[in-house]
Amino acid sequence: MKQNFFYILAGIAGLVEVCLFYLSVEFSNPMLITIGFIAGVLLLYIAYRRVSDRQVDERLALINQKAGMATFMVFWVIFFATSLGSAVIGLGAPRFPHHLPSGKGEPGLPDRSMNIPDSVLGSGGHIPDNGSIRLGYFGYMQLAFLFLMFFLYVGFRVYYARKYGEWETDEEQD
Amino acid sequence: MPGNTGSGKQMKNRIKVFRAMNDLTQEALANELGVTRQTILAIEKGKYDPSLELAFKIARYFGVGMDEIFIYE
Repeated sequence: MKQNFFYILAGIAGLVEVCLFYLSVEFSNPMLITIGFIAGVLLLYIAYRRVSDRQVDERLALINQKAGMATFMVFWVIFFATSLGSAVIGLGAPRFPHHLPSGKGEPGLPDRSMNIPDSVLGSGGHIPDNGSIRLGYFGYMQLAFLFLMFFLYVGFRVYYARKYGEWETDEEQD
Repeated sequence: MPGNTGSGKQMKNRIKVFRAMNDLTQEALANELGVTRQTILAIEKGKYDPSLELAFKIARYFGVGMDEIFIYE
């Protein structure tokens, strides 16, 4: 398989993943995108192994290794610092069951002045909270971390590629 | 693994000279050694020091000792 064909395949796989994500949200089925994503990555891994005109020598391997290590070093510091902050919030949070701030009415019920529609409130006037809403926000944060990791890797990759002469030119260039 | 080793000394090489003597392009040498042309260029410019294995391959390809191609000074 040619390398360009692999890139086309990767693009198609990316589009399929976007569709799967949409369907997953539409049907409220997280397993769809989870399994779909793992299957997509496996497919691309197998396809990558079959690329015939791929040339990775020791210098490129060193660049990838250095960029990966630098990304990991920066990422774990950021991840650890954020996790510590989250732990502080978690430790300071009130114990279960969680209720909205009480108004003048019955303790544990939301303040009516907040104008929360009845459709949002479950039976008894409480916002139904089985943890999935907070889990969803946690997912956003994780995605933000993954994007950060990706951009860090690209940045370090460019830095080390320059350091080890990736874009050097000479008289043989033309 | 750039040329400067941190002790004030540097790895230098004479690959370009040997290439010229053997009338070889970077591309041709890279193909013979199984690396990219960019790697040969980076080594020649002192941006990257090759592994021991690649250094041996280069020396053997030109049929000389390693110390004739790579100089530590």
